[in-house]
Amino acid sequence: MNVTAPICSLTTCGGTPAVCRTGCALEVIDELLRAHGTVRGDEVDGLLDLRWFLNHRADAEAALALFCTLRRAMEGRHYLAFFRLRRWLENHISVTARLCPGLPARTVSLALNNFCLEAIRSRCVLAARRPGEPLFGARVTFAFAPLAPVIREVTTSLALA
Amino acid sequence: MKTATTSAATKTKTDTRITDALNQVLADSYALMALTHLAHWNIEGPDFFELHKAFQKQYEELFEAVDEIAERVRALDAFAIGGLNKLARTAGMEEFTSPMPQKDYIAALVVAHEKVLDDATQTRHLAGESDDLQTQDLMVRRLLFHQKTLWMLKSALKQ
Repeated sequence: MNVTAPICSLTTCGGTPAVCRTGCALEVIDELLRAHGTVRGDEVDGLLDLRWFLNHRADAEAALALFCTLRRAMEGRHYLAFFRLRRWLENHISVTARLCPGLPARTVSLALNNFCLEAIRSRCVLAARRPGEPLFGARVTFAFAPLAPVIREVTTSLALA
Repeated sequence: MKTATTSAATKTKTDTRITDALNQVLADSYALMALTHLAHWNIEGPDFFELHKAFQKQYEELFEAVDEIAERVRALDAFAIGGLNKLARTAGMEEFTSPMPQKDYIAALVVAHEKVLDDATQTRHLAGESDDLQTQDLMVRRLLFHQKTLWMLKSALKQ
């Protein structure tokens, strides 16, 4: 399976997680937060929560679930912003899928073509499964891809700002 | 007999920053042309005819632009980069995986145009610093095209 990360969606970004500025997605969210009149109050709360998850690279699964909720509500009004966030998440979240408890876990690419976490999870299982392989008690794990040391410094300075 | 050397002539031979930057814009433009051509072929949906025609107009404009940029590199006494592999690596743009939703093609092209816009702006600054007005003029024309196309693509994404 090809797990080559796509280039980050922002042109100000260097590309793959090893060189990507972690601030890209935060900038997109900040732009959404500044979009007066087209973001509702509950959406602002959700965006702030998502910003926290991405800034701290914490709980990738919860971040994805929240992203899906926001996407369903807001994508029609902010297609480009959600396209950029999709690309960023695909680039920064790694996925491992275990088809059965006894089988080794496999790494698969994250493709955010679905609008809810369960559908994304199912898609990851299907992507990991080879023809004829058993499927019982499958488990999918989402995690933020590790950053290169130089990126961690950027993250720290952003967190302090 | 002594050969006169103008300062402009000397500059064209020494300032590789400008030709490197032009080659970057060349690679970007070539990659963007290929992406736009792919979108022209593979886009599907209710706005097919309109977008199919719009993308054709855009890649034809880009085809003329890459020639002009490459010839400017040669006029500055450097060599234009080429070859699909090298152009793609230099541009570093994400390639499409068809099929995609109609709006994803447009959004992906927005991102690609923004990349060219950034690199052309950088090249325009470098040319300005070196008093290379011809390159600056070329970049200004490129910027106008990319800004106008971005406006159109972003407008097409709105509800």
